[in-house]
Formats: sequence, C-alpha cells, structure tokens
Amino acid sequence: MNKRFIVKPELCTGCRSCELACSFTHAIDGVRSLTRINPIDGGFKDLWVPVTCLQCDDAACIKSCLVNALKRNPVTGAVELNHEVCVNCMACVAACPFGCAILDTQTNLIVKCDLCGGDPACAHFCPTKALVWELIKKAVKKTG
Amino acid sequence: MIHITINGKVVQAKDGEMLLTVIRREQIDIPTLCHHEAVEPSGACRLCMVEITKPSWDGWCDYVTSCLYPAEDGLIVNTHAPKVNELRSSILDMFLARHPKSPEIRQLAAEYGVMKTQFEEVVDGDNCILCGICTRICDTMGFKAISMVGRGHGKEVAPPLNMAPAACVGCLSCAKNCPTNYIEYNMKNGGLTIWKKDFEMIACTECGATTITKEFAEYLSVNRDIPFDYFEKCDACHRKELAGTMGRIANWDREARS
Ligand code: SF4
Ligand code: SF4
Ligand code: SF4
Ligand code: SF4
Ligand code: FES
Repeated sequence: MNKRFIVKPELCTGCRSCELACSFTHAIDGVRSLTRINPIDGGFKDLWVPVTCLQCDDAACIKSCLVNALKRNPVTGAVELNHEVCVNCMACVAACPFGCAILDTQTNLIVKCDLCGGDPACAHFCPTKALVWELIKKAVKKTG
Repeated sequence: MIHITINGKVVQAKDGEMLLTVIRREQIDIPTLCHHEAVEPSGACRLCMVEITKPSWDGWCDYVTSCLYPAEDGLIVNTHAPKVNELRSSILDMFLARHPKSPEIRQLAAEYGVMKTQFEEVVDGDNCILCGICTRICDTMGFKAISMVGRGHGKEVAPPLNMAPAACVGCLSCAKNCPTNYIEYNMKNGGLTIWKKDFEMIACTECGATTITKEFAEYLSVNRDIPFDYFEKCDACHRKELAGTMGRIANWDREARS
C-alpha cells in the first residue's frame, strides 16, 4: 500500500477524538475495546503526542511471540494480532519498547494498532489533522 | 478458494483448512473443550462434532469432529442438526459425571440441557478434563515443561517427577488457557509461583508495575534477539517515554518556526 500513517504532535490539541474512534471501531460484541492510541502530555506547554504503534520494521513484538499470533499484513504494513491464536503470555506487552501492545483488562485480550485494516479510524476523526493517512509522494519524472 | 455450505449459507474456505476454523470465522458458536488455534488439533473432546453431507451422498450424512476435518469443495455442514445436539448432550453428560464440581463444565452442560448427569458421579476426581491444551501450548512455545503422565484413572498433567520444572519460565500460558481453570498459580509481592516453582517478576524501573517473569524475559532476550533493557519498563512508562522523546522533537520544531 502506498500510504502511510503520519503523526504530527504540533497539531494535536489532546482532544482524544482518536481514542473514541479507536475504541468504537474495535468494539467486540458491542463492548468498547481499549483504545490503541493515546494522546500523552509531550512535556511542554500545549504539546500533546498521540502515541500509537510505530509498525516497526524489526518489530520486537513479532519476535517475542512464540506462537506466531503477530504477523505483518503485507498490504497495509501493519503488525496484526490474531486473538484466536494469542495465548495471553504478555511477552509482546513486555517486549515493545514503546509500550504499544497493551492488555485490555475489560476483555482480557492483548490489543495493538492494526491501522484498522488499511483505513485508520483515528485519522478520520482527528479534527486538526494531527493524524493523517496519506499517500506517499513519489518523485514524478516529467516527460516531454 | 473453495466453497462450502454451513447452516444453509455458502461460505468461502481455503482448501484443506479445518472445518472448525471456517465455522468460527463465520462467528457460529459451537462448543469445544480441547481446541486452541495456537496448537495442532487433538480431537480429544469430540464436542466440535458436526453433520456433513454432499449432494452425491444420496441423503446420507456423516458425523465428524470439525477440528480435524479438512474443508472440501461442495461440502454441506450443519453445526446444530438434532443428532449433533443429541451427541453433544451425551458427551457433556459424561464430562459432567467425571467433573461434577467444575463450574465451567456445569455451565456448558446446562446450555445443552444437561442439568444433572445420568451416570454415576466421580466423587474424588478433579477438574482437569485431560484436554491437553496446556501441554500442547507449552510444547509449541518450545518449553515442554509439563506433560500428560500416568494412565487410565491416574492420568494427570504434571511436570517431570512432579518437581518444580527446570524448563518452565512462568509465562502462565498453560493456566490462562485451561478451559476449566484447573491450573493454580499465585502472584504476590513481585513474585509468582506455578507448578511449585518460584519466579521473580520484573518490576518497572519507573513505577514498579510487573508484566512478566525475569526468567521469561531472559529467555526472550537470548533466544529471540530482543535487548534485555526493553523489558525493564512497563508499557505505560514506555508510552510516556515515547511521548517525551517525540515531544522534545516537536518542541524544537515549534521553536525553530516561531
Ligand atoms: S507493537 Fe511495539 S514493537 Fe510491535 S510494531 Fe508496534 S511499536 Fe513496534
Ligand atoms: S500475548 Fe499473545 S500476541 Fe503477545 S506474544 Fe503472547 S501469544 Fe503472542
Ligand atoms: S490442566 Fe486444564 S488445560 Fe491441562 S489438560 Fe487439564 S483441563 Fe486441559
Ligand atoms: S507457565 Fe511454565 S508450564 Fe506453563 S506454559 Fe509457561 S513454561 Fe509451560
Ligand atoms: S475441539 Fe475437541 S475434538 Fe474438536
């Protein structure tokens, strides 16, 4: 997919629309899921950082999963977690250096961002466009 | 891709994929007590039984354990045929006789109308149904710390020689996936005990929260090439750290522009 997820903390107002969008999109049987994205205080005045999975190239979460419940989706590039396969060992939660694989204590499931299968809901709902899902611009060779 | 019919609906499946996997994907609820997608199917509980037929079978049907039966093109599956429900009730009746004290078994049996077993109850039994989910998961993860030992009535899940298993890392996957919650463990004061083995949990260097055992982290670090210091902070403190790093960069940027 020639699109990528971009986070621009300088535009985030900490409104938490992304959290709501995420939680509703990933609801199971009508139960809202834990959000996979959190705007966190960036340590400076009026600065919020929407923290979510970076979909690392050499992902520690994938390496830590001994039952292969975590796999890269070749189309979206996101690391996806299969709940049917996951045995809840917490290895990925402990291994992710950014804390982006989390235990949803309400459903007892491990959750992480999956880029909503290629159409991230948080980006749709961010009113200031601090989160964008945009086309990767390629240098276009001019002809003629 | 092939097509099979489940309860009157035509669905797609991969050739050779087990019927149970397709049924679950279609969100159809059928009971199972020995199935987990992380491990190879074993066919031990027989509750996943379904009715199958094909147009060419002239009205004949067969009853198969769906966790072990590969999907084939044109198959017609009924997950709740009267005969299937009957078979499931009688299987659950036997489970109930063997494990009358298990709340999980009682609930499942009740769902199939079995409130009380017709058989003689085993009075001195335990709640382990010998499904082997725990041992298969532990094997698949590569630890092989516990196994099924003994025969007949004495059969049980245990570590070798019934002693604290050297191979166990305390990941708790066996206990968390046991359908009857039979495997006991204890977590307190930054420690964990399972299978009579004591573990130390890693405490987050920032807030003290615990996630996994030190032994499990060491195993992952050595065998999976993950720097050990990744395990030294909890997920919440890692997120804060990332926000701090990205915040500093965004702030430089902001100051440079103003
Ligand atoms: S969960 Fe963590 S380790 Fe895995 S891809 Fe996301 S940021 Fe990377
Ligand atoms: S918690 Fe689940 S997804 Fe994470 S490493 Fe363990 S089995 Fe894999
Ligand atoms: S301890 Fe639990 S998971 Fe293991 S065989 Fe017994 S019932 Fe199955
Ligand atoms: S806690 Fe020990 S016995 Fe249980 S699955 Fe993990 S390594 Fe195996
Ligand atoms: S799930 Fe137990 S026999 Fe198929």
